[in-house]
Amino acid sequence: MIPQNFDYAAPSTIEEALELLADPEAKALAGGMSLIPLMKLRLAAPGRLVDLRRIAGLREIRQDDGALRIGALVTHSEIESSPLVRSRCPLLAETASHIGDLQVRNAGTIGGSIAHNDPAADYPAALFALEAKVKVAGKGTERTLPLEELVVDAMVTALEPGELITEVIVPVEAASTGTSYQKMRQPASGFAIVGVAARLEKSNGRIGSVRVGVTGLGPSGFRARRVEELLDGTAGSDGEIREAAAVVAEGVEANADLHASADYRRHLAQVFTVRAIRAALARAS
Amino acid sequence: MRITGSARIAAAAPEQIFRLLLDPAVLSKCLPGCEGLERTGEDEYRMRMKAVIGAVSGAFDGTVRLSDQKAPQSFRMAVEGSGRIGFVKGEGLLKLAGQDGGTEIAYDGEVQVGGMIASVGQRLLDATARMIIRRFFTRLSEEAGQ
Repeated sequence: MIPQNFDYAAPSTIEEALELLADPEAKALAGGMSLIPLMKLRLAAPGRLVDLRRIAGLREIRQDDGALRIGALVTHSEIESSPLVRSRCPLLAETASHIGDLQVRNAGTIGGSIAHNDPAADYPAALFALEAKVKVAGKGTERTLPLEELVVDAMVTALEPGELITEVIVPVEAASTGTSYQKMRQPASGFAIVGVAARLEKSNGRIGSVRVGVTGLGPSGFRARRVEELLDGTAGSDGEIREAAAVVAEGVEANADLHASADYRRHLAQVFTVRAIRAALARAS
Repeated sequence: MRITGSARIAAAAPEQIFRLLLDPAVLSKCLPGCEGLERTGEDEYRMRMKAVIGAVSGAFDGTVRLSDQKAPQSFRMAVEGSGRIGFVKGEGLLKLAGQDGGTEIAYDGEVQVGGMIASVGQRLLDATARMIIRRFFTRLSEEAGQ
């Protein structure tokens, strides 16, 4: 449980951090909730850790142009308890409150979680439902891309070596929008066996602007577009919700492990899609 | 762990895909993290691999053995590798079938993973194995298109 020797640097600017990360032996450290255990087990042995936690600009949450801009180093518990996130993007705050345990939420960061791209992480469900964008900085470069383009496969992202996520951008939601995150929790780790986030609007008795994000089911999180299409424009009766939720796993290569087979995960995805949509509907006005 | 599935390669017919799959230079380009495939005997190769999956990285030394070759329809592939973080051992049958000028590759095999990587990474083994296979066929498809 003792990691291999490594150098440590704690730069105070993004530019310095990017300079240090140009070394292929260097690895960025955010909250360390995935990286440090891997280092202790010696499954990872980076030559140098570049600690990003002293970079002041990465720890802010601000509202700007109808969007919330959340610094990559903002922790899950900061998101969960931020009055700004709770009032403007409650789905993200709710999802953050479901992550791991209190220790993990106090140290783990949104940027770290996205970069790690664990197939069972909670955030992707909400971030896909919110059509989040991610700002990425490299040496002398900066780009903003939809999460959908950043996420490639299980544990794989489109981040180039030496690139860092600096900001996560989610929309400011109208108070009338209904949202909910529902998950089947793996009791030991707190990871989502399956997690589903739903957001929708209701007007004249009809459901509109439905977005459904799913995590835990496939190699990475995704937007369940077929479910959205089937639900859009309906009155949201129980039958209509069930019918829409029934297609959530269509075309997805479901994960399997000791805790849940692929078939069971597909079943759970339907059940939790129904629950998330029902709960979101009850909150919409 | 049983691994089954299929991949479609539109750019080439089974004859060409079969040739590519049996070419060590192509295989080493397509296997994620492969740092070299060296011929040690008839249809037998020594492989050095640096697997990087998320934050996990580890070097593996191993062998690749091809058998039961029935060009251009099928062959068996056996892979064994071990390193400090664990070991991998797998064997499977690959079947090639022509389809609209392209090739449908069906694979069916059994993979065992052991050591530290398996004991702490069980939750991710299945998703990771599928990810590696998808990346392999994506690269093979690129090779076939050239």
